[in-house]
Amino acid sequence: PADTRDAAQAQVRSAPAPVTDVARLCVCDLLVAQCDTNCCCDPDCSAEDFSLFTTCSIPVVMGDSQLCSQKAAVYSLDVEANPPERIFKLIDRVNPSIFCIHSTNYEQALYLKSPEIPTAENFDELLDKFGGATFSAEPDSWNLDTDAQNSPETNETSRYEYGVPVQTEDAFLRLPSPVVSSWCSDANPAGFLVNQATKCIRSVSVEKCDSIQALSMLFYINSSILASVFQVNITVQSIVVQSVNGMRTLLSPSEVLRLPKVLDELCINAVLGVNYHITHTDTGEIIEAAAAFVLGAISREVLSIEQSFEISFTQENTQPVPLSGNPGYVVGLPVRAGFQPQGYPSPAAFLFASLALSSNKHSQLTILHSTSTQDCLAAQGARTPVLFGYNMISGCKLRITAAMKCQPLAQTLLDVLKGQSFPEYVASFGNSQAQDVLDWVPITQLHISEQMIPHTLQSSCQIPVSLGIEVKWTKYGSLVNPQARIVNVTATITSTTLKQLPSGRERIIPITSSVVFTDISSPAEPSYKAWPTINIKLPFDFFYPFV
Amino acid sequence: NNSYQLSSLPLHILLYVNGVYYIFYFLATLAMIIYKSQVFSYPDEFLVPDLAVLFLMAVLEVPRLYLGFKGNLTEAEAPLGLSLGLTVGSVLLCVYLLLWQSYVLWADVLLNAVLLASYGLESGLKVTAIAAFVS
Repeated sequence: PADTRDAAQAQVRSAPAPVTDVARLCVCDLLVAQCDTNCCCDPDCSAEDFSLFTTCSIPVVMGDSQLCSQKAAVYSLDVEANPPERIFKLIDRVNPSIFCIHSTNYEQALYLKSPEIPTAENFDELLDKFGGATFSAEPDSWNLDTDAQNSPETNETSRYEYGVPVQTEDAFLRLPSPVVSSWCSDANPAGFLVNQATKCIRSVSVEKCDSIQALSMLFYINSSILASVFQVNITVQSIVVQSVNGMRTLLSPSEVLRLPKVLDELCINAVLGVNYHITHTDTGEIIEAAAAFVLGAISREVLSIEQSFEISFTQENTQPVPLSGNPGYVVGLPVRAGFQPQGYPSPAAFLFASLALSSNKHSQLTILHSTSTQDCLAAQGARTPVLFGYNMISGCKLRITAAMKCQPLAQTLLDVLKGQSFPEYVASFGNSQAQDVLDWVPITQLHISEQMIPHTLQSSCQIPVSLGIEVKWTKYGSLVNPQARIVNVTATITSTTLKQLPSGRERIIPITSSVVFTDISSPAEPSYKAWPTINIKLPFDFFYPFV
Repeated sequence: NNSYQLSSLPLHILLYVNGVYYIFYFLATLAMIIYKSQVFSYPDEFLVPDLAVLFLMAVLEVPRLYLGFKGNLTEAEAPLGLSLGLTVGSVLLCVYLLLWQSYVLWADVLLNAVLLASYGLESGLKVTAIAAFVS
């Protein structure tokens, strides 16, 4: 048993062997268990799928071309046959160059190096090599030379561009953030129009409470921002005090600065979070800056605290509405959804008016959020927004006892799966306005009932067990900058029959909800300019005197 | 062969051609090793043995050719025998460069094959010459 265990351990410790067989390699096979369009080497495609392809995106897969002879897998489509079929050939390709590699005696010559798997023997050596904050000597650019940036030219600070560090009197507006490790680094400048939120850890001690600069409000508001010809002072917008047990209270508005001091073995008025709000004009000049603070107390045994910082930029006289893309959806931003207001007739009516668009994230398209307890009935209300391009799956477990009644259970499960306010329309583009009715796609709802026993009575209990949202999107617009556009959203609820349980028994059913994004773009068609036509007009009296 | 001249003319010609060819072979192989170290991944632990073999072969070649010429011209079998021994060493090094180098290019195969062929022919002629001198 000892040697089999060692052998099993030895097997687990080596990395999986890389695939080098050209017949099995397929670079265009990106979707799992689905056929990729125009991917002739995809094993998930059937003969009918191949008959719909127009071309093979990858015509040949071959080994290292520097070898004198290598195997190549050639994929092509035979369009003459009816229906078109895929042809797969494995050929030997010969490199005619005189400097082709005939053989090598060094195994790692033509392949990437497999990483070393840590074992008890080489752990110390690997830790020395890779255990530090950086793998090699720090390049000079990490040490931000603040002195060099200390002399801003006032002419250039009049207009800020996206990403340019916001200049202040002494250096730049600092947004402490974690750099290489989780410890706060004060050398991170805030970029103009770059909304950031960072969290980092700072080491503190109650004795040095009033001497640590980063814990006092002054450190964050003492320098004023340089903007055009005058300087903008950072005002204190609000102060929230957090007590030791986590309760937060908003202080009445006043401009009083609260500096950290030691009181009863606690360090109070220590900065736990700063939220900068910068207002700018549409030409890039900063006109106002405000900071909202969260102050807290540090007790004696605490050695480090987590500080959170945020900065947001707002244009003056506007109410910011977060867009999910402009115009096409950006991967990772939430899918925007809305409702048709009550009392309006069916979508055929042209007087449609605006959809109720709200920025409240709970009336966006959301799915169930898995919780650590995994109990469907306990964690009602935890939802997570659907982000464009991210396939998600979540679920919970439902414990059914004999005493549960069918109809209320089915209604509860529907609420758990769909949430309190499941939207009816989804925005087609990331920046669709509520007034443009045609830019919104209705959500198609389907109900599938999974018949476990084919001949059960219709009156038996049907409970929904899964919600699958399939979002079909396409690439829209120009070839060089295609925009993502949602074309179709289908929400499928699958129900299953619930058999009556004998009393005292209980059953656990898994409930799942998933979101899948499918790209249904058709291949791009290039458009050409029309041939120039020769436009010759004869003078009207050309045929004088016959006409 | 004339009865009063036992020196082998073909051997002399072959030794001369071998000398000229070897200079070309050495420069070409050195250039290709430099090319391989730039284009491919050639760590030091594999580069050093290959270069060492090439330079060792160059070092062996000079006395080998000198002894061959001298033995053939003075019709003495001792230098020729010594040259034959050194040829065996050169053949082994040439086989290493043909089969066990880190990267064997097609040009390497050609150069080494030609060199091996000329060594083989030379060895045959030397044995014949020694037999002629001894008897």
